[in-house]
Amino acid sequence: MWKFIVRRLFITAPQIVLLSVLVFLMAQMMPGDALSGLIDPNIDPQAIEQQREKLGLNNPWYVQYKDWVVSALQGDLGQSFRFKMPVTDLVEQRLINTFWLSLATLIITYLIAIPLGITSGRFNDTLRDQIITGYTYIGFATPLFIFALVMLWLFGFHFQWFPTSGSVAPGSEAGSLSYVISKLHHLLLPAISMALITTVNTVQYLRSEIIDTKQKDFIITARAKGASESRVYNRHILRNSLLPIAAFFGYEITGLIGGTVFVEFIYSYPGMGLLFMDSILQRDYSVVTSVVLLFGIASILGALLSDIILSLIDPRIRIK
Amino acid sequence: MDSKHAYVEETQEQMRSVKSPSGISIMWRELVRDKVALFSLIFLILITTFVYGISLFLSQEEIVTVDLFAIHEPPSSEYWLGTDYGGRDIFGQLIIGTRNSLSIGILVTLMTGLIGIIYGLVSGYYGGTIDNMLMRIVDFFMILPFLMVIIVFVAIVPKYTILSFSLIMTAFLWMGIARLIRSKALQERELDYAQASRTLGSSHLKIMFTQVLPNLSSLIIVTMTLNLAANIGLESGLSFLGFGFPESTPSLGTLLGYARNPQTLEFRWWVWVPAAVLIFILMLSVRNVGEALKRATDARQRRG
Amino acid sequence: MEFLEVKNLKVHFPIRGGLFNRKIDAVKAVDDVSFQMEEGKTYGLVGESGSGKTTIGRAIVGLNKITAGKIFFEGKDLASAKNKSIRKDIQMIFQDPYSSLNPKKRVLDIVAEPIRNYESLTRKEEKQKVQDLMERVGLSAEAILKYPHEFSGGQRQRIGVARAIALKPKLIIADEPVSALDVSVQAQVLNFMQDIQKDLNLTYLFISHDLGIVKHMCDQIGIMYKGRYVESGKKEDIFTNPQHIYTKRLIAAIPDIDPRNRDFQKNHRRDVQKMYDQSYHEYFDKEGLAYHLQHISESHQVALPHRKVD
Repeated sequence: MWKFIVRRLFITAPQIVLLSVLVFLMAQMMPGDALSGLIDPNIDPQAIEQQREKLGLNNPWYVQYKDWVVSALQGDLGQSFRFKMPVTDLVEQRLINTFWLSLATLIITYLIAIPLGITSGRFNDTLRDQIITGYTYIGFATPLFIFALVMLWLFGFHFQWFPTSGSVAPGSEAGSLSYVISKLHHLLLPAISMALITTVNTVQYLRSEIIDTKQKDFIITARAKGASESRVYNRHILRNSLLPIAAFFGYEITGLIGGTVFVEFIYSYPGMGLLFMDSILQRDYSVVTSVVLLFGIASILGALLSDIILSLIDPRIRIK
Repeated sequence: MDSKHAYVEETQEQMRSVKSPSGISIMWRELVRDKVALFSLIFLILITTFVYGISLFLSQEEIVTVDLFAIHEPPSSEYWLGTDYGGRDIFGQLIIGTRNSLSIGILVTLMTGLIGIIYGLVSGYYGGTIDNMLMRIVDFFMILPFLMVIIVFVAIVPKYTILSFSLIMTAFLWMGIARLIRSKALQERELDYAQASRTLGSSHLKIMFTQVLPNLSSLIIVTMTLNLAANIGLESGLSFLGFGFPESTPSLGTLLGYARNPQTLEFRWWVWVPAAVLIFILMLSVRNVGEALKRATDARQRRG
Repeated sequence: MEFLEVKNLKVHFPIRGGLFNRKIDAVKAVDDVSFQMEEGKTYGLVGESGSGKTTIGRAIVGLNKITAGKIFFEGKDLASAKNKSIRKDIQMIFQDPYSSLNPKKRVLDIVAEPIRNYESLTRKEEKQKVQDLMERVGLSAEAILKYPHEFSGGQRQRIGVARAIALKPKLIIADEPVSALDVSVQAQVLNFMQDIQKDLNLTYLFISHDLGIVKHMCDQIGIMYKGRYVESGKKEDIFTNPQHIYTKRLIAAIPDIDPRNRDFQKNHRRDVQKMYDQSYHEYFDKEGLAYHLQHISESHQVALPHRKVD
């Protein structure tokens, strides 16, 4: 067991290093540098040059990379020229918002996927299954951004059941009950939109997993022993089919990140995705780099987590 | 000792699977038998010929020229689907946009397919250390937040053209098919026909591309079809965000992008709803065809 | 100079494990095996599954990497790079007629594959040659545009033979060529293989687990167990004067169709099995492996511990 984890960590470390190099190179390719945001254009170019020298911007790239990594490790991701504040401070609040949005999405995803997947797999080729399969078909064919747009139009603008932007009603006091309710209210529509689309993967996986397991010998044996149908499903089939799905949440992170970019942008929800879009449109590149780096690390760690959990559940994976 | 021998023998046993005859004809039969898929295919053929045919007579420049006297016109006999904030005809943009979206979808699918097939084939065929190294690279690419990375590259590429757009998309989308091809090639190379080719004096390259590759054709067709749907969706998503086609080259996503303006979203449905419906139907049809082909490759699920 | 000489051949497959997937052990599929073959004869390699007989065949033809030892073909070292061209003199017939022919290729392309690699013929000459080969193996020349799945197992194996003889090789490794076929077809294919052996002056290395077939086909026989030789010699040596208990047991297991012998056979088998159980430790070392071979006559070698010979 621990061998697998150690071996897996040996893969993770270079991934993070490689990611940081990629992000650093991306930052180098972006026009402008840390100074273009800070300094008044009226300042004498000679002074800027001195400043550049002082900040190490004339150093070879590997020295700059080292400096960048060291300061990133200390929590210094540079300055946002648009907000005139350290990126770290800027990101903090956004990160929390995105965290809640992703969490809500994940919960709703599983809330939808598990009953639908089980019904569909257990009663396969019945009318119920056909309806659910039809839903997954449509879900696969619908781009998230179009669905989110339609949801916003319908429930945000037309019925006005949900707010159409922001993460909390202005003026509500942090910590109060109404604040929490307002947060949830803002969160719900984006999370539902995202979950309804992303869940189809899991529904389909669960369905085929259950259909496969149903035909395995140990299930036939359980039936032959006289176990009741509900016992067969609850004790034997579900235990085998649900665990891997629960472990997939780490892999979902990569997908969620793409989703948050669209959904936060459409719902003007102030999370990392919207921050990313705003920053890239405003050419606030130090923020862009940081968001990509943080999201990249998040998906690397998510995959690591899922791999470890899966290997705990299913020893066969450890051997590969 | 005994069990080790048995293990070697057993795995050889498992790999000796019997092949089914000509996959393409089965695929075609399945497609014709599945009415929904057949209907989707006919629809796709019609819309493709229609869109490419009509756009021969439409001038892209004329359509994207701003006409300040016709801003935000609702649908009328002159503008079938109204106009956008620049007074540009929505219907014309829809036609050109569908053409552009389809073209780039096909282009990116072909390019990712080409890279993915070669990469996966090399990795799976050689196996061992080469495979291990190549797959670690795939793992890394798979884990990148590719949507953001694509957007960043689109934003920073100096001379941004349609070609560079499709190259950037390709650079971050080839891994899925590479992985699939690799795992199938890993199985194929153990089969006797590939081994036989070695003894007959064929080089590795020759075996890979003339012996193993034809046996992956069904998998390639299915994957590329499903990828096409995904790529159309992704392109329109990027264009929607403003990081796909430039506005002078409308895509279906560009029209949807106008809905980022709440006024347009709420009150001028004719600008974005047709494009949304069209993307949805296009992706659904392509996927229907792809799923039918997929069923054809899996004997257990075949309907016919 | 021997036609084919295998000298102290070892083929080991690594077992990987541990933290860095290092080699931690090896499966000794072939462990120090030596034998010689005569031109124009058939050499039978016999053993149960996993005994390493197929691995030897694959090592000779170049499909398995040799861990140690040498293989000389007409005096030339097969491992040496400058002798690459002799590879075309050694061909192989595979066990499974279903997976050994590429399902996506026409028979023409399958049989022409070696020709295209080594000879440059025009399309017409090539087609003519393939048609000749098809007729030679008893199939219709018109069938060259069909796909493998349109043929029966026995016919497919004939196509495999046609492909193997296309380059006029001198040695053919036949790896259980009939064990995947119906019994009714087996004899047909075997007799046909003997016919072309005479016509083309072929030498066969015939790998099989079926002593009955080996008796029918082979002039010389080597018997393997767990990667090592147990006994080797002329056909008569092995069948009339088996020395090793493992050989005796194998021979006792050959089915006899005469019902009058049924009781005798049954008792005989029981006796041999008893002897095998009792004397197992005299014939195999602590790890259950065979000892080194020792001559007991000019042509006959047996793997016995030293004290047994004295």
